[in-house]
Amino acid sequence: MEGTEIVEDEGILRPMKCELNHLTMPDGSAMFMQGDTAVVAGIYGPVEARVQKMMYDKASIEVVYTPIKGPPCVDDRMREQIIKETCEAALIATLHPGTAICINVQELQDSGGLLACTVNAACLALINSGLSMKFMIGAVNCMIEKDSQKLILDPDTTQIQEAKATFTFIFDSSKKDLVSCQTTGRFTEKEFLYSFDKCKEASQCVFQFFRSIVTKYATRI
Amino acid sequence: MRRNLPRSKYQKGIIHPIKYLRDYLERDIRPDGRQFLRVRPMSVNVRSITQADSSSIFKIGNTTVVCGIKAELAEPKVETPDCGYIIPNVELPPLCSPKFRPGPPSDQAQISSKIVETVFLNSGVLDPRNLCISKNKLVWVLYCDLICIDYDGSVMDACVGALMAALKTLTLPEVEHNPDTGAIIVHPSKRLSVPLKGAPVCTTFALFEDQLLIPDPTEEEESLALARLSLVIDGEELCGVYKAGGIPISQEVLMKSLSQSKKRAELVRKLIDTAISST
Repeated sequence: MEGTEIVEDEGILRPMKCELNHLTMPDGSAMFMQGDTAVVAGIYGPVEARVQKMMYDKASIEVVYTPIKGPPCVDDRMREQIIKETCEAALIATLHPGTAICINVQELQDSGGLLACTVNAACLALINSGLSMKFMIGAVNCMIEKDSQKLILDPDTTQIQEAKATFTFIFDSSKKDLVSCQTTGRFTEKEFLYSFDKCKEASQCVFQFFRSIVTKYATRI
Repeated sequence: MRRNLPRSKYQKGIIHPIKYLRDYLERDIRPDGRQFLRVRPMSVNVRSITQADSSSIFKIGNTTVVCGIKAELAEPKVETPDCGYIIPNVELPPLCSPKFRPGPPSDQAQISSKIVETVFLNSGVLDPRNLCISKNKLVWVLYCDLICIDYDGSVMDACVGALMAALKTLTLPEVEHNPDTGAIIVHPSKRLSVPLKGAPVCTTFALFEDQLLIPDPTEEEESLALARLSLVIDGEELCGVYKAGGIPISQEVLMKSLSQSKKRAELVRKLIDTAISST
């Protein structure tokens, strides 16, 4: 596939693949794969906002997440909210007052770490759309294994079944601080902070990958 | 004009809300007169609704959430034949805040219900197997209705608190089930309480400029905050860290919020225990 890049960073994270300008109609689009988890994201914006959602001082950000099967459910609402709030933190919404920025995400396959994958795809699509951002956002998923208490970065579906706790951290690219966080299961404070540190380190790989993708596409323009 | 009106709209900072709040924060105090790290007074009342199997009212400052649990008998889900289940439902009626309009549940109500459910499941406070009466045939379903009466910030904290207080006072009637005939005999006079493990406590924080962290924000602080963070603590362990967007926070702030929420968790746990033992 043209424009595909694989980063196998010493097996820390599953290999990432990305294709920008995957769709023709959106202002920015990206197909992003992390291991076998795949997502397509498309951005329309700034476009005219619906009257109820219009804000006079900044752009309203709308996120539509479409699952692979069935109608969107309450779980998807929550995912949409996280993507929306995270992208809102990264975007400079005040540059486009009275408009809307629509982020559409379509799940293609879920083999673990879906939330991290959607956020990364949304970020790449935003980069591709050329909207001004304060920083990039990179999401890393990790888990703690039930028996061995071992930390596994970016686990797949079979590994997640053995998890006692899973974490999804979303970092910003400038200060590497925490933008969003979601957890499942029970864990100690030590485990949480350890996972936080490890994911922070791993987020470097994600940002490195984003940069390599941008450079790759920039040379062709 | 009545003297004891809370505060007039003018004073409340309707005209310049951001500057109004910032003026307070610069003087190291919050608009309601609290120090930065102080939480609002809380109160709990249990067994107040007699029609429900268990109930509680949880107040944090003005924020009020009423929880009622209704237990019903049902067939278990096919994938979990020996597990009962709970269905939490957070209602944010138009009464509680001008932000909500009548109609189907808002996105926020749906997300709140989901968070309450995940907190309940992640904490493992109630083993769903304890709700099983007869495998594959009959289990208890707990409908937990959480209704917000007054929406003045940190509603999730109040929801989780109300749910835990109600669960702790929950008693279920003894049920005899004959698997062959399918006959069900309920003994309403013989009621047993449900074994619980721990009690998760949720603490919400609001973040402002220069990584200023304040726990238990009111609605006006919450709406102007640059970021929000919720931590769920159960004893020595955590069972949820939720942050959705807003300004990025550093690890030091995270550590500070952890230690603060631990203190708060202890306080809330004692409060619930006192409320239950005093009734």
